[in-house]
Amino acid sequence: MKRFKNITKVMFVAVLAMASCTTEDLDPTLAQDKPVEGSIVSDQDLYGVSKGMYNRMTSSAYYGRDFIINSEVRTDNVYANSNSGRFTTTAGFNYLADSQNGLWNQGYAAIGSANIIIGTDVTTLEGDQDYARHIQGQAYVVRALTHFNILKNYGQQNFGGTEGIPYVKEFKGDDIYPTRDAISSNVTDMMTDLDMAFDLMDASYDDSSKEFVTKMTAMAIKSRIAVYFGDWANAASAASAVINSNQYEIIAAADYVASFGLDSTKNSIFELAFSDTDNNGSNSLAFIYRGSQYGDIECLDNILTLYEAGDVRADIIGYDPAYADGEKLRNLGKFPDDLGYDNVNVIRYEEVILNYAEALLNTGGDAVSVLNQLTSMRGASAYTTVTADDILNERRKELMFEGFRYDDLVRSGKSIEKIDIRQNFAATIPAGSTVLAYPIPQGELDANSNMTQNPGY
Amino acid sequence: MKTKFNALLTLFLMFAVQIVFAQSQTISGSVSDETGPLPGVSVVVEGTNKNVQTDFDGNYTIEASNGDVLVFSYVGMTPVQVTVAPGANYNVVMQSDNLLEEVVVMGYGTKKKSELTGSSVQVSAAQIESAPAPSVDQALQGQVAGLTGSTTSGTPGSTSTIRIRGISSITASNEPLYVVDGVPVTNGNTSGSTAISSLSPLATINSADILSVTVLKDASATAAYGARGSNGVIVITTKSGRSGKTTFSFDSWVGVQENAISGPTMLTAAEREMLYYEAVYNTYGEAYGFDKDGAQAFSEAFNLDGGRYQAWNANGRPEGDWKAATDNPNALTQTYNFTASGGDANSNFYASLGYYSNEGTVIGTDFDRWTAAFNYNTQLTKNWKFTTRNQVSDSEQNGILEQSAYFSSPRTAYYFMPPTEAPYNDDGSLNLDLNTNLPNPIYVTENDIRQNTLTRFLSNNSLEWDIPVEGLTFTTRYNIDYRVAAYKMYGNPVEGDWVQEGGYAYNSVNRTTNYTIQNILNYNWNITDEHVLDMSLIQEYQENYNKFLGADGQSFAAEGLTNLDNAGLPLGAYGSYTDWKIASYLAMANYSFTNKYVANATFRREGNSRFPTENRWGNFWSVGAAWNIHNEDFMTGADWIDQLKVRGSYGVQGNAGIGLNTYQALLSYDADYAGEAAVYPSTFGNDQLTWETSSTFDVGLDFSILNNALAGNVSFYKRVSDNLLQNVPLSLTTGFTSQNQNIGTMENKGVEVELNWNIIQSNDFNLSIGGNAANNANLVTKLAVDGNGEEITITTGTRKVETGHTVYEWFMRKYAGVNPDNGNKLYYVNGMDGETTEDYNAAERAYQGKGALPTFTAGMNFHVDFKGVFLDAQGYYAGGHQVYEDWTRYIHETDLFGTLYYNSINDVLDRWQNPGDVTDVSKVTYSVEPWRTHSKFLHDGDYFRLKNLTLGYDFQPKMLSKIGLDGLRLYGRGTNVFTWVKAKDMLYDPEVNANGFVGLTSPPVKTWAFGLNLKF
Repeated sequence: MKRFKNITKVMFVAVLAMASCTTEDLDPTLAQDKPVEGSIVSDQDLYGVSKGMYNRMTSSAYYGRDFIINSEVRTDNVYANSNSGRFTTTAGFNYLADSQNGLWNQGYAAIGSANIIIGTDVTTLEGDQDYARHIQGQAYVVRALTHFNILKNYGQQNFGGTEGIPYVKEFKGDDIYPTRDAISSNVTDMMTDLDMAFDLMDASYDDSSKEFVTKMTAMAIKSRIAVYFGDWANAASAASAVINSNQYEIIAAADYVASFGLDSTKNSIFELAFSDTDNNGSNSLAFIYRGSQYGDIECLDNILTLYEAGDVRADIIGYDPAYADGEKLRNLGKFPDDLGYDNVNVIRYEEVILNYAEALLNTGGDAVSVLNQLTSMRGASAYTTVTADDILNERRKELMFEGFRYDDLVRSGKSIEKIDIRQNFAATIPAGSTVLAYPIPQGELDANSNMTQNPGY
Repeated sequence: MKTKFNALLTLFLMFAVQIVFAQSQTISGSVSDETGPLPGVSVVVEGTNKNVQTDFDGNYTIEASNGDVLVFSYVGMTPVQVTVAPGANYNVVMQSDNLLEEVVVMGYGTKKKSELTGSSVQVSAAQIESAPAPSVDQALQGQVAGLTGSTTSGTPGSTSTIRIRGISSITASNEPLYVVDGVPVTNGNTSGSTAISSLSPLATINSADILSVTVLKDASATAAYGARGSNGVIVITTKSGRSGKTTFSFDSWVGVQENAISGPTMLTAAEREMLYYEAVYNTYGEAYGFDKDGAQAFSEAFNLDGGRYQAWNANGRPEGDWKAATDNPNALTQTYNFTASGGDANSNFYASLGYYSNEGTVIGTDFDRWTAAFNYNTQLTKNWKFTTRNQVSDSEQNGILEQSAYFSSPRTAYYFMPPTEAPYNDDGSLNLDLNTNLPNPIYVTENDIRQNTLTRFLSNNSLEWDIPVEGLTFTTRYNIDYRVAAYKMYGNPVEGDWVQEGGYAYNSVNRTTNYTIQNILNYNWNITDEHVLDMSLIQEYQENYNKFLGADGQSFAAEGLTNLDNAGLPLGAYGSYTDWKIASYLAMANYSFTNKYVANATFRREGNSRFPTENRWGNFWSVGAAWNIHNEDFMTGADWIDQLKVRGSYGVQGNAGIGLNTYQALLSYDADYAGEAAVYPSTFGNDQLTWETSSTFDVGLDFSILNNALAGNVSFYKRVSDNLLQNVPLSLTTGFTSQNQNIGTMENKGVEVELNWNIIQSNDFNLSIGGNAANNANLVTKLAVDGNGEEITITTGTRKVETGHTVYEWFMRKYAGVNPDNGNKLYYVNGMDGETTEDYNAAERAYQGKGALPTFTAGMNFHVDFKGVFLDAQGYYAGGHQVYEDWTRYIHETDLFGTLYYNSINDVLDRWQNPGDVTDVSKVTYSVEPWRTHSKFLHDGDYFRLKNLTLGYDFQPKMLSKIGLDGLRLYGRGTNVFTWVKAKDMLYDPEVNANGFVGLTSPPVKTWAFGLNLKF
């Protein structure tokens, strides 16, 4: 009997111990993250997600470096000197199916963030719902702009094809294996998004830092996209809306060089924030444009002959102080902070002026006086007549190193000339060549059987 | 003995007649074992509380009555009972209880060898000691059939990759579970940076403190570990004390190391210059109308070399030998271990103190470790026993950037640094004015800090209650594994990666605590003498939490100040917390009938915090059976057969080796924008996520014949892994790259053979050979499909996962050599054979036939001793796989990377030069080629390595007793002294990470050591 008692005692203890752990006891702690569901309940939560969206745009795969450099390095402005081996593949138009995926990945990630904001029902949010709508407007602009940036590089418009890119309008929507939309459909979607943004936003909420999209940014971006696709009427009306808002000024000649080292200047419409504690470090624009650690991007000598005497824009260019004088011709003036602390401008007023001039030229307006507004602030001679090439040339001089030259050449039907033995491509790339579009990333093709590759890959 | 006992019995009967009432008498005697007097033996009069212990000389005296039973007991010995007869004294000889049959440690308890129904291999301390490496996993290579192991780097303290019976998961972990003294431990890399040398937690455990390592391979053994068992289990048991006179031992060895394989030879400066001018000629000669001799003038006219060769020629053409400059010749390695062990009948202890240090063969790397162990067990009362096992260690590793091609790494410099740049100036000072963007790695190594320290406290405490029900015991165990991994990084402001920042420092501390509670109820029921049933009920709860704290800053005012206090610009502070929890209930039963038939069953129910609540619990089980044929009556005539057993097992284990919190769709808050915290979607989430399960079938035959002279076994296994946890690639348009899903099936099967032959066994002369061999065939049989029903394969730049193929089989374009007409590279259009093309994009990618993991491995060992002189040799063979040169694009192509910017392996000297040349090295060109992956740099990975060669002498006891020693051994040992590589164009060390990539990590090392073992 005593033996039996002992057994029951032991069993009791054992059973007690064993029954002590429930499923809920095994819930993992979420200390740094939160579930998507139930975490966006106020305008401030939406604001937090919008900052995440901008943060993705600052990635070195996007505006933080590669998106800008990949455009410059395929032109007659600069070449990749192989100091660290970076950008030589793109600069040589030697794309492989898995070499051009950074913009695709990071761009669609930013679009994903924008779609969380757009998909939020603001009427359910605590706080200021009008402010929440303003944030939604910012998300529409980022969604349109980012699709545009992806389309420019992966779409078939540069060689007469019709296929664009998937225009993604939902976060974790039903169709997670999308097909490519037509270019025309992409354009319609972008314009619709920008108009929607303009309607949703209220200028009283605009952030004076310009580090967030403002109401007028929607119009500025619209002018850019319309120019790219030759939609001159829309380009003119959008650009004139920005100009007539009187919120911006062309930077004065005396301030031109210095302005690139300053944040939130009066010519800035929208810029991405970088600082001494939030930057891309050695993967920043500054490290690739200058210095000996990377310093892979070197200027071609022809740009020295571009500017007439007295044009302040020539002062951006100079010899790298990290090397012997005369050894390495560099971009010294744009993104001038050697540690990559400078904000990166996404769109500035001078571009809108140029967009307007080009739109007027193509619609029979007074392009000359608009263009001369710019030259008069640069120490350059005024134009008496203006051609399309003049505007392209003026864009090259004004926007050099900011990632515009490649698109300007390609959309104008120009070939990419081999003018210097150091350019990374072997021979002139003729207009209409299929290498003017990147291959769709192999990872996308492997994961999504609805995706089709561009010709030539 | 029998006669003696009969005499006693007679004596007893005589006195019994005379004695009418119980009479107390004093009994004395001595107790000994085969080695001499045994102190501390407990002598108890059964049924009373009278008990004494034998003294230092093994003598005892006790009061007892006629007819009382004296019980002599001692840990590790078979108890002896004597019935008291009047006037008699009893001298008792005790025998070790494990002489009876070898016992195999299974983690949750032990098993007699005859009771095993699966394929478990126990590796002894002697086998472990033969590998002079800081962590025990490196000693397992070649010792266990079906285990493939490789070091991830020669930097001391680095992790190893161990695979048992192949790869069972695509995305989840393929690392085996490690169990120390019955408790599962975590074993991931604890290095503070993924860029630098790795640091293995296993390196904190002194191999000298390890008694045995058991490798559990089949379901009958691994199902007990449930969801962590499917990759195999490595059970480590530390040494226990041994009662008796306290014995001491001192072991030490000192050795020097060099790289096991000298590695590729790079171009000299003159060779490289010659190739450069040839490249200029090949690219521009025709178009600009100059010949080879005119190439230099043309290059200089257009400054095509950026002034590099012009400067080199102007400086008198110095030759930079960067291999020598970054090599640490005769790297010193040494260890000292001091142990003490002893005790009495009630308690015993084992204590040790150890020091290990090891310099790397690459400058800037070393590893130092102090360890202490204290294991103690004591009989608290008659029924309660307490055991504590404690290991404390403090390790420090100085590492280098080596997990990728970091320009400031000394290892990269050996391959990448242009030989036209000299490491030192003429005056002997370091050359910091290099005409390249690589910094001088010697300066960087001397002035930067990349130091991991790992302090670990592992304490395992158990209380065992011998319940007053025969055969029933209850054990409760509480285990703490506390690790503090600290990392200190400093980059100097003068040379290297942190010049522009004015110096940079990063410090972090990672505190990991792993608590485990086990309650074990064991019932050993001898139903009859023939039927024995052993049952256990086990409850286990494990909780692991990790607290991380880090900070960084830059801009240092002066050199030599390396702490964050002196950073002018604090950059950030980082902190995080993560945890996981596992609860399990386990039932195990083992039934044996007259030791002829054995059957066992295991069931484990386990809950894991990695899965959503609905799928949190999983059930795992196994059944096994064995037939000990040699115990059958019909075998009584076959005396030459010592053991003959057939066995089989089947069961289901799991794998939960995925990241934390991946089932939840998450927003992360660790980003920032415009000086404020930013939120972004970080995890796609999957509320259906559940366990990956592996069903393993295992059959085998064990035999031992001719007085155990020839013994061996053969096993066949098949493991089907289902519901594979997979990082399924998503369309990138979702904003995510992948989602964890349970889709896919994969199978592994193979045959394993082990054989040992003691050719000669005698007192003075022994000779034995042995070995093991195993193959493994892996096949993916099912994968996820997308909306169109098309399979979602996983394709990387070099590998692919697809049904019908080995997991991660190499998948790339096939190199077809060089076009003899123009020197351009050719690729097969279809990726296999036939038509060739010079257009890389026009060539298809195709499977190259093999995966990265060896499909055949073998271990060999040889032992001979004669009058104390002994020679041991052990080898390892791995083959049937391919390895890929990771950094060819920088150092093994024929473009400017090799001839102008970096350097190239010197076999490019065989390049094509003139039409008609037949070679597989394309012409050199003045160009920078994109990163093209093709089969030229995919090599057969087969190799053989003589892992251990030891020649030593054991001094004879006669000589030693004069100087008061119990044992003395002196030996010389060579490790990895010889390596054979099948592929002649594989110039690197063939022992590479399990993923098959030949990286730029420090290579495995060759050691020459001299050691001594002393016992007193």
